[in-house]
Amino acid sequence: MAGGEQVAARVGDAVKTAASVAGSPVATPRTGGAGHALRFPLRSLAAAVDPLRLVGLVLVVAIWQAVAAAVPPIILPSPVSVARRLATDFLDAPSLSYYGLTNPNLYGNLLYTTQNVAIAVTVGAAIGVVAGLFTARFRLLRAVIDPIMMTAGTVPILIAAPFLLIWFGVGRFSAVSLVVFYVVVILYLFAQRAAGNLNPIYEDFARTLGASQRRIVLDLLIPATVPEILGGLRIALAGAWGLEAVAELLGSQEGVGKVLEVFAGATDTEGIMACLLMLGLTAMVVDTIAGWLVRRAARWNAGLTGERS
Amino acid sequence: MTDTQPRMIELAHVSRRFRRADGQQVSAVNDVSFIIPEGEFVCLVGPSGCGKSTLLQMLAGLLEPSDGDIAVGGRQISGPGPDRGMVFQKDSVFPWMRVIDNVEYGLKCRGIAPAERREIARTYLRHVGLSHVERAWPRELSGGMLKRVAIATVFANGGRVLMLDEPFGALDYVTRHQLHDVLLNLWNADGEGRRRTVLFVTHDVDEALALADRITVFRAGDQVDDIPVTAARPRTTDSLLLPDMVAIKHKLLRHLGLDHAAPGGEAAA
Repeated sequence: MAGGEQVAARVGDAVKTAASVAGSPVATPRTGGAGHALRFPLRSLAAAVDPLRLVGLVLVVAIWQAVAAAVPPIILPSPVSVARRLATDFLDAPSLSYYGLTNPNLYGNLLYTTQNVAIAVTVGAAIGVVAGLFTARFRLLRAVIDPIMMTAGTVPILIAAPFLLIWFGVGRFSAVSLVVFYVVVILYLFAQRAAGNLNPIYEDFARTLGASQRRIVLDLLIPATVPEILGGLRIALAGAWGLEAVAELLGSQEGVGKVLEVFAGATDTEGIMACLLMLGLTAMVVDTIAGWLVRRAARWNAGLTGERS
Repeated sequence: MTDTQPRMIELAHVSRRFRRADGQQVSAVNDVSFIIPEGEFVCLVGPSGCGKSTLLQMLAGLLEPSDGDIAVGGRQISGPGPDRGMVFQKDSVFPWMRVIDNVEYGLKCRGIAPAERREIARTYLRHVGLSHVERAWPRELSGGMLKRVAIATVFANGGRVLMLDEPFGALDYVTRHQLHDVLLNLWNADGEGRRRTVLFVTHDVDEALALADRITVFRAGDQVDDIPVTAARPRTTDSLLLPDMVAIKHKLLRHLGLDHAAPGGEAAA
């Protein structure tokens, strides 16, 4: 009799599970990293050819083309000419060398901007996440740091740019520190909220199982907060491109922002739009990768999967 | 019978007071003393708010008693430890770990080698009937399955004392009864002499009668009764209809203020 009940228990639970996760069979072993890496380009490709998304894009380009046909190219160049300009200038733009840029092409300047964004986001995220997680656990620390971060968060960060230029000059450092500042504030808030949302029952359970404080941080606090922190990182990243470019625009010797400034000085609307297109495409590619990372890190959490955008 | 067994849990004059938000002192547990011998299955029964969960939290080391001493296995406890496993009322299975990693977690904390702890975890997953989902994420499991994972985790960790705080309260009737069998089978798995000591908090009288060697009753922070349950195991539906069991049930219901149908007018509280 007991055996029969046991089987019934299993079947009952299995049916419930099947109903609750409709479509994701529990019993089958999950594909490993290789499977995900393979599916990733396929999935983003499928997203890219989503007919509805294409409709919007096509509509914008069509209106752009129509307006461009009606006004002189100096006001609005046509999408085709902008794309062609991007293609030619990407590897070689001799006109830029007259303005003293180290790299007389878009590619080199995009690389410079990308490096700065990468450095700033890495440094900013490290500081913000550590500060956010620490303050979530130590109330005294939080009382000290919270007002600083709140003040920093309410100041429009760009107005600090002239100040940073005085301090650090027109080199890499001033643009990077501006972006670092921005990323720190965002990730501080995200990390703190993520740690605060962690249900205390998990820590109680871990302690009764014999987990040390170190293990609780490594096995509970960090993995539980990773999805939310990566979501914040994605938001910080999106803003970081714009801030970096504007910081370069205000004072820099290199970078996409500097190129934009040069083109603006020469009233080269085609060049400006080519730069914007390039920056936009780069940010989109990076965001797609970041989005994929968020989904991967949040595999355990159905509520977060694919809903952060 | 139980006198030959060594004392596993000893509580001496344990009290716990809380200060409510309005500043008033509330006594959750009031000068409670008892001894539980090794291998006994004890149910703590009482209305909600009677202090039984607080008592368990103190035994687990998650709460400090305001007064009194608690010893487990002859040693004064200080803080939580793997010698005392706890299954919580709410789901405590870590959602970011796969089922098998959850069951291994306590063993990992104690530095057991990966191959060995995996083998132990698999054994206990088999005991609770979840071998087929060892690679699943907890969100893919039903409430009953999550309780099985928690029970497997706590048993796998090898503590000699297991505490369960209304573990099946949120489950449906059928699932609850299935889990009673899972729990009793695990408790018996190592043979009668190697049974672990179990403290099971419930407000379900029938649950206590089906599981316990002894039922201890709490009301408003006081231990008001302590009733041995002698019916033979394994207990069936019919066991609960034995005259002794019916008498105990009436007694328990009286303690809970529920025995309206008691014959002979002895329903005084």
